[in-house]
Amino acid sequence: MTSKTATIYDWVDERLGLSELAAFARHKTVPVHAQSFWYYWGGISLFLFLVQCFTGVLLLVYFRPGAESYESVRQITFVMHFGWLIRSAHAWSANLMMFSILVHMFSVFFMKAYRKPREFGWLSGMALLGLASVFGFSGYLLPMDELSYFATKVGLEIPAAIPLIGPTIANMLRGGPDVSEFTVQRFFALHVVVLPALFLPLLGFHLWLVQKHGNAAPPSEEAKPLSARKTMPFMPNFLRKDLAMWLISLNILALLASVFPWALGKAFDPLAPAPTGIHPEWYFMSPFEMLKLLGAFLPGAVGEIAGILLFTIGIVLWVLIPFYDSTSASGKRGRAAHYFGIVAVALLLATTAIGYWTIR
Amino acid sequence: MNYPFWDIPHIGSGWVIGMIAIFHVMISQFAVGGGLYLPMAERKALKMSNAEERADWLKQLASHSKFFLVLTAVFGTVSGVGIWFAIGLTHPEATSTLIHNFVFGWAMEWVFFMVELTTIAVYYYTWDRIDPKLHLKVGWVYAGASIATLVIINGILSFMLTPGDTWIGVAGTGHEASKFWNAFFNPTYWPSLFLRSCVCASLAGIWALITASRIDGDKQPALKTSMVKWSVKWLVPSFVAMPFLMIWYYSMVPASQRALLTLGIDTINSGTFSVVTRMALIIIVTSATIVGVAYFLAYRNPTEFNLSHALSVLLLALMATGAGEYSREMLRKPFVIGRWMYSNGVRVPSVSKVNANGYLAESNWVWNGSPSGYSRGEAIFRGECGSCHTLDGYRPLRQLLAGRDRTNIENFIVMLHENKADSPYRRFMPPMVGTKQDVADLAEFLNAQVNPPAPNSTKAVLTAQK
Repeated sequence: MTSKTATIYDWVDERLGLSELAAFARHKTVPVHAQSFWYYWGGISLFLFLVQCFTGVLLLVYFRPGAESYESVRQITFVMHFGWLIRSAHAWSANLMMFSILVHMFSVFFMKAYRKPREFGWLSGMALLGLASVFGFSGYLLPMDELSYFATKVGLEIPAAIPLIGPTIANMLRGGPDVSEFTVQRFFALHVVVLPALFLPLLGFHLWLVQKHGNAAPPSEEAKPLSARKTMPFMPNFLRKDLAMWLISLNILALLASVFPWALGKAFDPLAPAPTGIHPEWYFMSPFEMLKLLGAFLPGAVGEIAGILLFTIGIVLWVLIPFYDSTSASGKRGRAAHYFGIVAVALLLATTAIGYWTIR
Repeated sequence: MNYPFWDIPHIGSGWVIGMIAIFHVMISQFAVGGGLYLPMAERKALKMSNAEERADWLKQLASHSKFFLVLTAVFGTVSGVGIWFAIGLTHPEATSTLIHNFVFGWAMEWVFFMVELTTIAVYYYTWDRIDPKLHLKVGWVYAGASIATLVIINGILSFMLTPGDTWIGVAGTGHEASKFWNAFFNPTYWPSLFLRSCVCASLAGIWALITASRIDGDKQPALKTSMVKWSVKWLVPSFVAMPFLMIWYYSMVPASQRALLTLGIDTINSGTFSVVTRMALIIIVTSATIVGVAYFLAYRNPTEFNLSHALSVLLLALMATGAGEYSREMLRKPFVIGRWMYSNGVRVPSVSKVNANGYLAESNWVWNGSPSGYSRGEAIFRGECGSCHTLDGYRPLRQLLAGRDRTNIENFIVMLHENKADSPYRRFMPPMVGTKQDVADLAEFLNAQVNPPAPNSTKAVLTAQK
């Protein structure tokens, strides 16, 4: 460092405490073992979120919510230079982010990284996943093409089925009894103001916790004596690999956005019959299909209520796992939680597959 | 139209070439770049003053040369011959033109190819058996022969995009081979050669990373570090030169073809309208970032660099190569040989003759005089559309024409037949050639596919009768 740079660095350091941060980063390590690969998925999710922020702001320049939303998306896709690319990258990164968050969640679950002292990491992660799903649901409607219109209409029937308060919630989200331009306006506000305002601080909290507690080693690794465990410095070794993963993700995103650019269907027509094969996005397919299957056994309102109840219990049990599987030893409860995870993955995959199979 | 048509449903015959060619290019360009990598690495090792380091490098290179031999001399050779079979069946007219024009070029290619095969076998089997200096010389002979194969095949491949005015002047006269050198050193020859040379160097480094990743970083950290770092450096020339070479190549491509590259800037209309632009984007993003991936994963963490990392870099290279070769093929549209032969094998000067006499009358193999319009339409579909379209798979006509009725389909074909200057389709689709009856027959066949008759009506004849 030249004397001038050193002086500037000292000036900033005195005010922001950069040396402490650098010292912290130098000492931070990441466990190295057979499952280390799964550590990158949180970073990949973060990268894809950043891509969405960037492309989302660009889309915001031309998108006009309300009655003109379809026309503005049509212009972005077919008139603006590389508008289709920005829109495709936005849509594909949203889907890839949902995928990587799910992979991240299940890897955290199976490595039992939710145990003490990482309970808040798990809870904030679950809240981020919930918000990301609402991001997906609200963003899907914005182009207001035939498919997004009918999928949203069907999707909003789920909260409407909640006893007593359901219809009021659904009406509030729709801005009336039907999905219309008012719904787009509301979803737009949700998508670009409310959700980011909730998501960003929560993300900051989540990342701070990761820095504070570091990466958790799986129980099999923790069972080893300290001398047998391998680690690598976070700075710069892990960070470099993280950056390489980001570049690989960028390439996969570029490949998908270019080879399969996001299509735009016909403009919605509320009077037209719903086209065949209307289905929710893939990450909602599993709950959608589970409710559908349950409805086949228990027809009518009973089925709907039972479905929502069962679903709520399942999610609550999943979210609260750190509190009933808290010991670090692989005891009976630890194994039960493991089986719970396997059942959840199997159910998710099976119902998603059945869902896609039955819309063919 | 002198040969039978090879009908491949669902994927189309073009993809048979594509699937073989993309892997072949990955390996054949490795054969060229790796051919240079081996003697250069051996020379570097022989100059090392530390005997232990020298021995480690040479041992590693011997192991890499085994991988190189198996991959290039077995898979590369088999897939190369596979391309010959595939292009002969898929594009017999174009292959025939190339053979008539470049028969001596190909003969030279085969000579160098035989030298390559021989020397790489000698190179591998004589490690530690002959004098190191002689062994190195064998490596240089291999490198020379493999570069020569690139120098030759590049002339033929670039000819197909830009045959040049001189060759076009004699095309069809029977004296095409007299302009061999003009055709060979065509307008895109040099930018294409430099581009491919850079890709060859990159692939040499990328494939070498595969074998280097297998070195145990805990047991031999010094060897792994030096080997990985040296291999990554092979990616640098293309990273630096690629943007300039691409601009050079772009400037030598005819304006009509350049227009194809810009078609997809503001739209995602289906099919060829925008595919070249989209593929070009993949090439740019992947080429620009692959060095970053190799830098972070390999250069800065050489001892921890493992096979999964190496495979990630290789897959990115496959993506860039696949997109590059696909774009190059697509950039020729609507021709298979620029300005001379359309992508469906119809020669440009014979259009008026076919329009006067009828497509089937000018075809020796597809037609036997069946009176059914449907059968004639099917035969015309195979000949004129089948090079690029399938009915229900790749670029599916059932889907692309969906929603049109019989009249509408016929009007569309008439538009392709008239091929007016302002038609957007003429940029990448050949004109539909033939008589009015041919247009009606093709419309009948396609209409039966898009709007199939009700099951209880009279069954149409399903295949061209022999």
